[in-house]
Amino acid sequence: MAKQNDTRQKNSTGLMALVADRSFYVLGVILFMIVWQIAASLKLFGADFSEAFSPLAAILALIEMIKNGELLHHALPSLRRVLVSLSLAVVVALPIGVLVGYFRRIEQLTYVVFQFMRMISPLAWMPIAIIIFGVGDVSVVFLLWLVAIWPLILNTSHGAGRVSPLWVNMAKTMGALDMGILRKVIIPAAVPDMLTGLRLAVGVSWIILVPAEMLGVSDGLGYFILDTRDRFRYDQLMATIMVIGMIGYLLDSANRWLISKFSWKI
Amino acid sequence: MTTESTVLISLRQVTKTYRKNGREFHALRDCSFDVMKNEFLVIVGPTGCGKSTLLNLMAGLDFPTSGTILLEGEPVTGPGADRGVIFQEYALLPWRSVLKNVELGFEFRKNPVSRSEREAEAMKYLDMVGLGYAVKKHPGELSGGMKRRASLAMILAIKPVILLMDGAFNALDSKTKMTMHQEITRIWETEKNTVVFVTSDLDEAVKLADRIVVLNREGSIEAVLQNELPRPRLGSAARDLDFHHRFIEFRETVMNVIKKDAGLRTCAIS
Repeated sequence: MAKQNDTRQKNSTGLMALVADRSFYVLGVILFMIVWQIAASLKLFGADFSEAFSPLAAILALIEMIKNGELLHHALPSLRRVLVSLSLAVVVALPIGVLVGYFRRIEQLTYVVFQFMRMISPLAWMPIAIIIFGVGDVSVVFLLWLVAIWPLILNTSHGAGRVSPLWVNMAKTMGALDMGILRKVIIPAAVPDMLTGLRLAVGVSWIILVPAEMLGVSDGLGYFILDTRDRFRYDQLMATIMVIGMIGYLLDSANRWLISKFSWKI
Repeated sequence: MTTESTVLISLRQVTKTYRKNGREFHALRDCSFDVMKNEFLVIVGPTGCGKSTLLNLMAGLDFPTSGTILLEGEPVTGPGADRGVIFQEYALLPWRSVLKNVELGFEFRKNPVSRSEREAEAMKYLDMVGLGYAVKKHPGELSGGMKRRASLAMILAIKPVILLMDGAFNALDSKTKMTMHQEITRIWETEKNTVVFVTSDLDEAVKLADRIVVLNREGSIEAVLQNELPRPRLGSAARDLDFHHRFIEFRETVMNVIKKDAGLRTCAIS
C-alpha cells in the first residue's frame, strides 16, 4: 500500500513537471498578447487605429464573428479550397515523384524544368489562370495546386531515390517482380518524405490562399480581409488575421502528428 | 557425410572483371567448382578477394564476364526465390514489424496466401530461429544478433533450396556468434537445405563446413578442402580433447593454404 502511494506520488510529480514544462508554450503566447496590447494602448499603431488593432478588440470581434456565423461562412470555403487543391496535388505529385526518384533518366529529364517551375510564384500565373478558368473557385484551386505540387514531387522523389539498394536486392532474391518491389519496398520507404512534402505543401498553400482569394471570389478568409478593410472594421481584420494564423498552426500540427506516426528508425 | 552427391550449382571457368577508372581488374579468375545438394560449403579468403562477388553471381544479382553458372543444370539468369540470400548488412524493412518482415516473401508470391496462413508460417520460422518472443518489435529495436535471426527467418520462410550467406555473422559478439553457429547448424540439419557461406573467420569455417573453398588474392581458387571433422562440432563435443586436436590440425591446414598464397606475394615483391 505504501509502495502504491509512492508510485502515485512519483507519477503526480512527473505530471506536474510535464505541465510546468509545457506551460512555457502558453506563457509565450500570453506574453506576446500583453506586448501587443501594451503597444496598442501606447498608440504605437497610430492615434486613430491603435484601439481597433489591439488584441482585446480583435478577440471581441472574433466572438462577434463566431456568433453571427461570418467566421464559418468564410473559413469553410478557404479550407475547402485548400483541401481540394491539396488532394489533386497529392494525386498528381506522388506518382510523378516516385518515377522521378526511381528512374535516373526521368530525374535528369525533369530536373531543370522542375527546379525552374518551383521558383515561380503561383500568383504570377494568376492572369493566365483567369484567362483559362475565369474568375472564381477554379482559378484559386488551380493556383493553390500549382504551389503544392513542387514540394510534394521533390520530397517524394528524394524519398524514392534513397531507397537502400540492399532492400531492392533482397526483394529480388525473394522472388519479387517490379510491381512488388514498387508496392512493398519503394513506396513505403518514401512515405516519411512524402509526409514532409505534404507538410511543406500545406504550409505554402495556406500562405498563398489569402492573396489568391483576393482575386475575385466572394467568400473565404482572403476575401474577408479586403471586405473588413472596405467596411473600416479593422478589429474584424485583426480577428481574421488571428484566425488565419490559428488554422495554419492547427493544420501544421496535424501534419507533424502524422509525420511522427509514420517515421521509422533505421 | 553425403550419401548421394548430386550437383546443385556448378561453376565453370567463371571470371568476373570490373572496370575502375579505365583500368580493368579481376575480381574472379577461372573459378570452377560444384556445390553439392545438402552440403554446407564455406568460401574463405582474404578481404577483397571476390568472395562476395562469387555469392552475388550465384544469387543472380550480377553476371559473370565469362564462364557459366548452372543451377540444377539450368543457367542462372537472375535472382529467384529458390536461392535465399542473407547479406552482410541485414536487410530488414525498418517500417515493418519482425513478423511482417518475415511475411514479406509470401506477399511476393503469384498466388496470394491468406493473412492467417502467412502469420502462422512466419511464426513457425521465427520460433525456429528463437525469435518468437519479439515478433511485434521493429528492426530499430533489435540487437545485432536479433537482426540476424530475423533476416534468417525471413529468408527461411521463402523455403529456398539453397541459402547464400555473405558474412552473415560478422560484427556479432563472440557469444552471439557461437549461438548463431549452433542455430544455423541445427536449421541446416533439420531443413536439409544447402548452404554456401562466405566468411573470413577460419574458426567459423572449420566449425561449419563440409568443404572449404579457399580463394586467393588473384580471385582464383587456391584449394578445395574436405572437412573430415565429425559432427556435432559445437557445444559439448568441442570439449573433447581428441576432437580439439583434430580441429586445430585442420585449421592449420587451411591456414597454411592461405599463407602459401600470401607467401608467394611477398616473394614476388622482394
